Amino acid sequence: MKLELKKISKFFPGIKALQKVDFKLKDNSIHALLGENGAGKSTLVKILCGVYQPDEGKIFLNNIEHNITNPLESLSLGISAIHQESVMFDELSVTENIFIGNHITKPNNLVDWQQMERKTKELLGNLEADIRPNEKIKDLSIAQRHIVQISRSLIHDADIVIMDEPTASLSQKEIDELYSIIRNLKKQNKSIIFISHKLDEIMEVCDEFTVLRDGEFINTDLITNTNKDKLVTYMVGREIDQIFPKKQVKIEQEIFNVKNLYKKTQFKNINFNLRKKEILGFYGLVGSGRTEIMKTIFGINKYDEGEVFFKGKKLKIRKPNDAIQNGIVYLSEERQNLGMTGLMSVKDNINMAVMDKNSDYLIINQLKEIRNAEELQDKLNIKVSYWSQLAQSLSGGNQQKTVIAKWLSTKPEILILDEPTKGIDVKSKSAVHEFMGELVDTGMSIIMISSELTEILGMCDRVVVMYKGLVKNILDVSNTTSEEIVKLASGE
Amino acid sequence: MIKKIITSRDFILFAIIVFGVVVVGIANPFFVKPSSLSDVLTDTSILIILALSQMLVILIRAIDLSVASNLALSGMLISLLSTIYPELPVIFFILLSCSIGTFLGVLNGVSIAILKVPFIVTTLGTLSIYRGLIYFVSDGKQVYSSEFSEDFLALIHYKFLSLSFLFWIAVAVFILMYILLNHTRFGRNLYSLGGNPDAAKYIGINENKYIILAYSLSGFFAGLCGYLWVARYSVASTQIAIGFELTVISACVVGGISVMGGVGTVIGCTLGALLIGFIRNALPAVDISQFWQLAISGAIILIAIIINTKTEQRKEKTIMVE
Ligand SMILES: Nc1ncnc2c1ncn2[C@@H]1O[C@H](COP(=O)(O)OP(=O)(O)OP(=O)(O)O)[C@@H](O)[C@H]1O
Ligand SMILES: [Mg+2]
Repeated sequence: MKLELKKISKFFPGIKALQKVDFKLKDNSIHALLGENGAGKSTLVKILCGVYQPDEGKIFLNNIEHNITNPLESLSLGISAIHQESVMFDELSVTENIFIGNHITKPNNLVDWQQMERKTKELLGNLEADIRPNEKIKDLSIAQRHIVQISRSLIHDADIVIMDEPTASLSQKEIDELYSIIRNLKKQNKSIIFISHKLDEIMEVCDEFTVLRDGEFINTDLITNTNKDKLVTYMVGREIDQIFPKKQVKIEQEIFNVKNLYKKTQFKNINFNLRKKEILGFYGLVGSGRTEIMKTIFGINKYDEGEVFFKGKKLKIRKPNDAIQNGIVYLSEERQNLGMTGLMSVKDNINMAVMDKNSDYLIINQLKEIRNAEELQDKLNIKVSYWSQLAQSLSGGNQQKTVIAKWLSTKPEILILDEPTKGIDVKSKSAVHEFMGELVDTGMSIIMISSELTEILGMCDRVVVMYKGLVKNILDVSNTTSEEIVKLASGE
Repeated sequence: MIKKIITSRDFILFAIIVFGVVVVGIANPFFVKPSSLSDVLTDTSILIILALSQMLVILIRAIDLSVASNLALSGMLISLLSTIYPELPVIFFILLSCSIGTFLGVLNGVSIAILKVPFIVTTLGTLSIYRGLIYFVSDGKQVYSSEFSEDFLALIHYKFLSLSFLFWIAVAVFILMYILLNHTRFGRNLYSLGGNPDAAKYIGINENKYIILAYSLSGFFAGLCGYLWVARYSVASTQIAIGFELTVISACVVGGISVMGGVGTVIGCTLGALLIGFIRNALPAVDISQFWQLAISGAIILIAIIINTKTEQRKEKTIMVE
């Protein structure tokens, strides 16, 4: 047995994150770790990496007991990880980010930049990534950052590689590349712990699985002995329908129109419209310009040419507040950085954007705040342990849901969602989808960027397919196939 | 590549300094004589040393407000001692001054890292405490130039290639810091800790250790400057270097050391100190009134900072090839 955890427990004040969890990782195996948001997956990873120390239990590596007290020790034992949170240093170069905490040094103890750069180049070349070693991380796209994180876990030649939701913000092409990296690692006799909420990919790449629920061990077995429905039942504790059929709504007149939007080096000839009660999808490879377009429409960035019409009137949006005043809201894909105040409670985060609605004569009405928070929390299935829990101590998926709840409270007319369900568990995902259906039914229109084809096909009325800053085509979802969309998105 | 160099903030700072020297040189040719320029460098050396050591602390999102008091206290202690034991070699006093400074720095570090007193509170406190201790040890009296031994003061007047001893010390500190921050794990880890403290936890950087070390080094150099200051001006008093910490911090900020942590270069920091030192020397040389001197140096600092933020703006990735 490569790795064995026996009766591991971890408690946070008021929270039992893990309770007597057993976990076994075989040699040469890709092991899926499954569970709902807040089940304790990332906590387990952090214990293995020495970020947290367990309150109880033992860790055995190749049948020898180890006490892992800090991340460097974990690395020297041959464990490396891609964490769910971004462990990146924006101002430092790609090379340095890959070697961070573990710089190669020359015999005289000075850092050996040349060798580090050479190794980085070699590794990035092997991954066929178009990233220069001396670029700063802040200049990279989200997908490229991901590749740097992956490179970091590979460079140390670790025996056990842990990946906590590595595919959450990648599109199909990059995901396929990641799969081949993972399979390659397995060929080199390494074991991988793979965390994901996408059951299809679990079935495709993994050999074994372990399910956690509310911090407790539920089941472990070979993937070949199970199926998706069974996995969901283990995770949720009861059978649920995975896919809510989208509510049928009658689409009305056009309310939003973008004409010839152009921004130097970013995008060109962007034309599309949005109708009342419609869900319009945006599909494309990561980095195809989808997010940039939405950011300019929302006023975060400026465009060079083009016009935007809202209900027939020309809109001049210079800053996000102009958009919000007009009833247009954008949910960024970088939620932890841009969408949330970690040191505020979940309730305050949800209510942040609607303080005036919750106030009577300028005084905030606590009762209204609680009601609003409770309603959304229920709807989106946000798992908090107590009312004043700080948003930063929530699990990754629950943080995402908190931000979604915050923007939904503003009841906008146009809601722009950038990867709304990334990192969200199966059950909550269908809750979000169901909620989107309800929202358009009440008269809202939604633009949704998503890298998941099933989500696009299941939720949208039309889909805009993008490739390198250009709109390739706008397709009726009822009238197209996933093959057609993928082809367009890869520029064919 | 060339465009990158020209738009880099270090280059812009350098250009501002050269431009300033030329302008002042036209107004007052005497100012650009080699001997006057070398005086400016000598005058700025202590600022350079302190700015570079302050940089270590600012890199990890903190500030050391106690440096000037630390300098004055270490300087006073060795001065008093040298009046009692004038026969001791000067190197002894230098090392002693450095050790006292380091000790005072460690106190800051321990208070911040172990006792968890926020750095502003800690160093604001020690700023007063260390200054107060000078009154305590000296009874409020000064040590005059006549009271120092000849050896104690001789070293500072030593010249090499017609540049002062002080200047060469600053050069040595510059080289040392350059290597430390660019070519050692310690230095690189300071950058990562300051750049993203949360992420630093995941890679096993021991935050407390780095806080204590950074403050110790800041203290060490404050102690070194304690000797340099006293020897240069041949006087130790309760008032020396009062308020100098603000000059040091503005040198860092002008030099592009971000108070948000994790950003800044040794070269930038040094140029920042040179610019401030130049302004302080040049304005009197072109006969500008005391009042305007303050306003002008304030304005130049602001302009430098605006340029810094402009050059810092994020560049966009090319998505579409036209
Ligand atoms: N530092 C912390 N302080 C307090 N509570 C925490 C902390 N870290 C995690 N928790 C809690 O522990 C529980 C497990 O969180 P964990 O991050 O392991 O979930 P997860 O399974 O990774 O979920 P997700 O799929 O959303 O990433 C959650 O209830 C979370 O709120
Ligand atoms: Mg997690």
